[in-house]
Parts: sequence; C-alpha cells; structure tokens
Amino acid sequence: MFADYVLLLFTTAPRRAKALFNVCRGRRTVSTLFAGLTADRLAWLDSWHGVPLSKFEAAANELVQAGWLQIPAPGYLQVTPAGVDQQKKLTQQLYQPVAWAQFQEVDVRRFNVLNQLALQVVSEFSHQTNRYYPVTTDQGMQATVKLWFRRWHSPQLVSQVVAELTGFLTTLPSPLADVFANSLTGFDFPGQTDQQLAQLFQRTPVEILVMRKDLNCRWIAWLRQQPTGPLAALLQPLVKANPVSVSAWQTYQDFQQGASLAQIATRRRLKMSTVREHLLEAAILTPSFPFEQLLQPETRQLLAETYAQTPSLTQWRFEQVQAVAPDLDFFYFRLYQIMRCQRAAD
Amino acid sequence: MQQTEIYQLLKQKYGFDDFRPGQYDVISDLLAGQDVLAVLPTGTGKSLIYQFVGNVLPGLVVVVSPLISLMQDQVARLNYQGEKRVAALTSQVDFKTRQTVLNQLASLNYLFVSPEMLKQSLVLSALQAVQLALFVVDEAHCISTWGPDFRPDYLGLGALKQQLGQPLTLMLTATATQAVRQDILTQMQVPQAKEVVYSVNRPNIYLAVETVNDEADKRARLQQLVTSTATPAIIYFSSKKQTDLIADWLRETTGLRVAAYHAGLSGESRFKIQQQFMADQLDVICATSAFGMGINKADIRLVVHYHLPTTLADYVQEIGRAGRDDQQSLAVLLYAPGDEQLVRNLNDLTAASANEIQLDYQRFQHHQKPVDDLAQVLQFYWEHQYAVDAVVTRFNQRQRAKATELSQLMAYVQTTTCRRAAMLAYFDEPAPEHTATCCQLAGTGLPVTALGLQATARTVTATVTPWSTVLDQLFLQNS
Repeated sequence: MFADYVLLLFTTAPRRAKALFNVCRGRRTVSTLFAGLTADRLAWLDSWHGVPLSKFEAAANELVQAGWLQIPAPGYLQVTPAGVDQQKKLTQQLYQPVAWAQFQEVDVRRFNVLNQLALQVVSEFSHQTNRYYPVTTDQGMQATVKLWFRRWHSPQLVSQVVAELTGFLTTLPSPLADVFANSLTGFDFPGQTDQQLAQLFQRTPVEILVMRKDLNCRWIAWLRQQPTGPLAALLQPLVKANPVSVSAWQTYQDFQQGASLAQIATRRRLKMSTVREHLLEAAILTPSFPFEQLLQPETRQLLAETYAQTPSLTQWRFEQVQAVAPDLDFFYFRLYQIMRCQRAAD
Repeated sequence: MQQTEIYQLLKQKYGFDDFRPGQYDVISDLLAGQDVLAVLPTGTGKSLIYQFVGNVLPGLVVVVSPLISLMQDQVARLNYQGEKRVAALTSQVDFKTRQTVLNQLASLNYLFVSPEMLKQSLVLSALQAVQLALFVVDEAHCISTWGPDFRPDYLGLGALKQQLGQPLTLMLTATATQAVRQDILTQMQVPQAKEVVYSVNRPNIYLAVETVNDEADKRARLQQLVTSTATPAIIYFSSKKQTDLIADWLRETTGLRVAAYHAGLSGESRFKIQQQFMADQLDVICATSAFGMGINKADIRLVVHYHLPTTLADYVQEIGRAGRDDQQSLAVLLYAPGDEQLVRNLNDLTAASANEIQLDYQRFQHHQKPVDDLAQVLQFYWEHQYAVDAVVTRFNQRQRAKATELSQLMAYVQTTTCRRAAMLAYFDEPAPEHTATCCQLAGTGLPVTALGLQATARTVTATVTPWSTVLDQLFLQNS
C-alpha cells in the first residue's frame, strides 16, 4: 500500500505535510527544500515524481483514520504512539529504499527509459534481429540510444553489457537481482509488469514499484562507480555535479568567486530576491556551504541569543528576531536556520 | 498509376501478391486524386493503404488518431516494419521533443497527431510549410459517435483540413452506418468524396448472447467460458476497477495466465502486456475498450463482453479483434437483466440540461477556464460562436441518438431470430442465410465442440526465472 510508505515519511515531531509531499513530488521551492532538510527527508526528493498531491492527501487521511497519524495543527501531521509501532512493523516487513539520493543528482526517470531501450536493442542485436517493437516510441529517447549504439557498436558490445549487468547483479541480495532481471525487455522476453512481479515475489505492487525505483538508483550508483563500460557512458550525460539546479548553481559559483549579491543580480539580470533564493537552495543542498561569508558574527550572535530558549528550529518565529532587529532580512534568518540544521547533522 | 504498376509495387515493397478486400479500390482512388471515405472491416490492413500511398506520393502523411495508445501502437508497428521516419505528437510528448519533431517535419514520412495537438498554431503552421502527401483521419466515426460529447476537436477537423490547403484526404473506419457516413462527409466538408464500403460481416465469428440471472451468475459463466473454450481471449469491461478485480479473480481461480489492460497502467506495463499477449505468454486479457484498438494479433479465438458495449457499432469493432486469421472464432455477450442501466448512466454523464448549458455560457463570457469535462466540450462550441439554443438542441439530439443506439443494441441482445441478420440490418446490409455456424439463437446452447473451439492443454503459471538465466536468454554471446 502506498499509504505505508507515506507513514514512513513522518516522525513524532509535527511536520508540514504538504511540504513533505512536495519534497517527494520533486518540487524545488526553497520552502519545500527547507522542510525536507529540517525533517531529514531530502533523500526522498523527486522519488514520487508525477504522483498527484491528492493521492498523498488521501493516503494521509487513511493513516489518520487508522490512528497512526494525527493532526496537531491545521496542515501539520505527526506519528501517534500506535503509529510508531506500526512504523516499526513496516520497516521490518516492507522493502526500504537505500539509494534514492540518486534522484537528486541524476535524471533517474530518463535513464530508466534509455536503459530499458538500450538493453532491448543490445539483446535483439545479439540475436541478430532488427524487427521488434521498441519499448518506447519517444523520438528523443530513440535518437539518444541510436547514437549510443553507433558509438559502442563492436563485436565486444554484448559481452561488455553482460559484464556490467553481471557485475552489478552479483552485488545485490536475493531476490533483488531476480526482480531487476525479470523486469527487463529484450529478444523473445517481454519482461514482467510490476503486477506480475508482485505475484511472483509475493509482494504488493507498490512495494515492487519502490523496489524497482530503488534498483534503478542502485544500478545508477554502481555505474557511477564503474564508469568505463557502455551503460555507464549512457548514464554519464544525465549526471549532474551536484543536486543544485543549474541556475542556482551558477549564482552560487559567482558568489564563491567573490561577487556580491548585488553584482550577481546585475550581471545575471536577476531580481535580488531570486539571487537570495538561489543561495538558500545551494545552502540547503550543499552541507559545505560557506555560511560565515554571508552571516556576520554579530548576526549569528543575535540569532543565537534570540532563539536560545527554542531548541527546535522549526518552531522559531521570524517575528521574534524582527522585534529586536527590525531591519534584519528574512534571508539571514532562514540562512542561519539552514546552517544550524546542517551543522547539527554533522 | 496503372493497375499493373500498383500490383508490382505491392509485391516489391510488401511481398504480397494480392490486396485484401477494399485496399486496391481505396488506393487507386486516392492515387487518382480522389478523397475517400473507406469503411473496411477490422483486420483488412487499413494502415497498408496510407503506407502505400505515402510511398508513391511525395510529402508527409499526416494521420489524425483519437487515442494516444493507438498512436503509439501504430508508430511502434511502423518502427517494427523498418520505417524510422515516423513520429507522434500527443499531449504526452514533452515540449522539447515536440519542437524537434516540428523542426524535422520535412524529413519525416509519417506524422501521427491527436486532433487537440493538430489545432495548435505552432503545429498547424509547421504543417503548412511542408508538402502533404495525404491527410488521414483514422477511426473517422469518432467525428460522429464521439465528436459532440467526447472529442469536440474532431469536429474542427474539416476546418483544419481547409487551413492545410485541402490535402488529399482519406477517412478510415471499420464501422459506420449510413447516417454516420453522411455525418463524416458533412463534418469533413468533403461531400464529393468517394465512398468505399465493404461489409462489416465477419462470417468466421460465431455470435452468441448469454442471458444470466445476476452478477454472481455472470462471473460463474465467464469462468466456465474461459476454462472450456479455446484461447487467446479478450474480455471487455466498461470499468477499470472491474477489469482489475475480475482479472485477479480469474487468475487465482483458473490458473490461466490472465492480465488486466487499461488506460490506468503505465506505458511500460501496457507495452509488456501487449508483447506477452502477442508472444502467447498470456491466455486471457481483461480490458477496457481502450485495448485492442491497435493490437494486431491474428489468432484471438474468443471475445467476451462482460458489460454491454455502448453501441452495436462499437460491438462490431471490438469483436472484430477475433479471428483475423479467418479461423473459427467466438464472440459472447454476457447479459444480466438491467445491464442496460449502466449504459444509460454512462450516457447521462455526458448529458447536459438547458440550464447547465446556459450557466456554462456565462462562465465562458466571464473568461473563466473550463473546469470539468462538460465545460471542455462546451468550450469548443462557444469558441466557434454557437448560440446557446443551438447547443441545447444538439445536446438533446445527441441524447435521443444515444437512446436509439441503446435500443438497437438491445434489439440485438434480445432478438429471437438470427443475430447476424439483426446486426447487419443495423448497418443497412442484407443478411446471409442462417447456418449452424452463424449465431446462437435464443434458448439454444453454445456449440463449442461443433465449432472446434474446445480448450486445449494449457501451460502452468509463471515462475521466477533466476537472473543469470534471464541474462543468458536475453544476450546471445559468441562462445
């Protein structure tokens, strides 16, 4: 059940439900990312891309009905004592993803399609057939795989691909390697659907879905470690240097090279508020962010003193510091929160 | 082009000595520059017609198609046949790919496009800039049976064709009554088009209707049918939920290899199920009517309707998936008293009162976006300056037409005489003489053995294949 995984998103501390759902759905606004950071759920970023918010909300309702979640304040959810027991049970029974952090740095969904098609092409090629229904009719995907195939086409291609797959599959505990292999498509082998895999392996379809997403992430992680083979080459263009969005990363680079926020805004023709949003995004997704360059010692001290009595930083209210320092921009308040959160995690 | 040249090309390009019924007539009319409305039974190779013409005439073949899944099937099939210069434009294609396709139009041979996509100005102007060999409206009956309610964009196709400079036009359908044919010609603004009409009759499909008492009875009968009759089989349902439920139940209780297929599945699952079915790795597919529109499996032996189809035309289209290899096949419609209410409910969903229509017009006047299906349909009329009264009249006519369709379908279900005669009468066709392999008369049993359609020995259910075996199977390595 999808709701089981939704329950595992929450803890006994109250969390803004919509923000956490949006983390899963891959929304990259600063407030969403900040919620992901404070709840320690950034690893789920983009893992349920395309799933409508209403589906999450319906699952949350079920969990509230079941007594596992409660609503401490409108828009917030937290796990109940009964929910804690249920979570314990679920973590023992349900497959738990381990490699979803790949979603942050790799276009996982695009790689899934390319990988499926490339393996089909190589499989059919190894059987010397060229009349088959391609797994995707998407023009862009077909063109990418075609170029890739031309570049790697050689008598060794088949054995190279088998070596990569074997290398990866032998690292997996049972039955994961079988799930991965049985879902592939190729010569005289259409592959099993999630529904069928669920019956074969006696799991629910949602669990198979989670397992397969995670297997694709594990496959990607393995290929990033072994970057010389043909499939690693197919993956390579989809890997970003870091999880920060391209535009925010550029702002961050300019900043690191010593440009002031105002200079960046002029040079990149951005609003000052956008520059600040970019830096906040970079700060959330980069644990080594140089916070001290932006937060003067006085500001840090002011904020530390103001919130000394409030250990949980999700409960800090900006108005409190505003009362003492009316000119302080929200940007510095949020940046300081992020710093505290990053350093607490260390 | 002379007849001999056409046959030479058929042999050379496709390896056939002869055309299937209707293909030659349509092709020669098109090559003579004549617009054609072709009514050809399912399984006669309608796509060969536009492929053939596309091979002869210079320029792009544009195929307007109603369903994304159908388009993807057609693109895949052309890919399969080695045709690479083919693309589809649907709402599922992302913006970047769409741009790439539009920039490369001149180098494509075939473009499949949904009517919604076609009317977008970017798409339209890109198409105006290239030479069109042929403009094809696939499933052309959608203009009439679906048009006013579900696919208002099909209604705009006539105007779009004008904007594309009146290209040579082919309208294709498997089933169209006299009234629907007239409707197609009017909407497409091609009154002079040649009509090539072949019989919808499929003599190798035995027609049966079984009346059961209730839902439980129906399930039991279905189970009995699929276990005692030859497969592969398709079972049609009118809801996704039932499709899933019954597929699970049949799999558990019969040991047959059963899968559900409907629009709720991912593209990957749909692909796999289609391919498994084609490769004889499934015995039974439980489907909503979305399935089968593009599938081309020749040896389907049994088509069962668990729910009533919406019209007799749809029924003929759906059972037409059976027996494309011309071998004996069987179509069974399971009917429980009151089933027609489900069709009425579906019809009511697309109905609208004069008051609702008036209110929606006010929404349009206030520049508010359409929020539901009905408003989306009405939006088309408002954008095309229809008066409220005229739209109310259209909706009323449409509801009456649907009520008539349902009573014609019920006449087929409840007839006490030859069912084939009743079906063909609907298409204004004369009936052949009733024989023992024609249809099941009311009150008689199903002659499964006499038809040679008993179940054969079946494979056991699937097991897990170890991953190393899968790799060996997928990748043939030089040893």
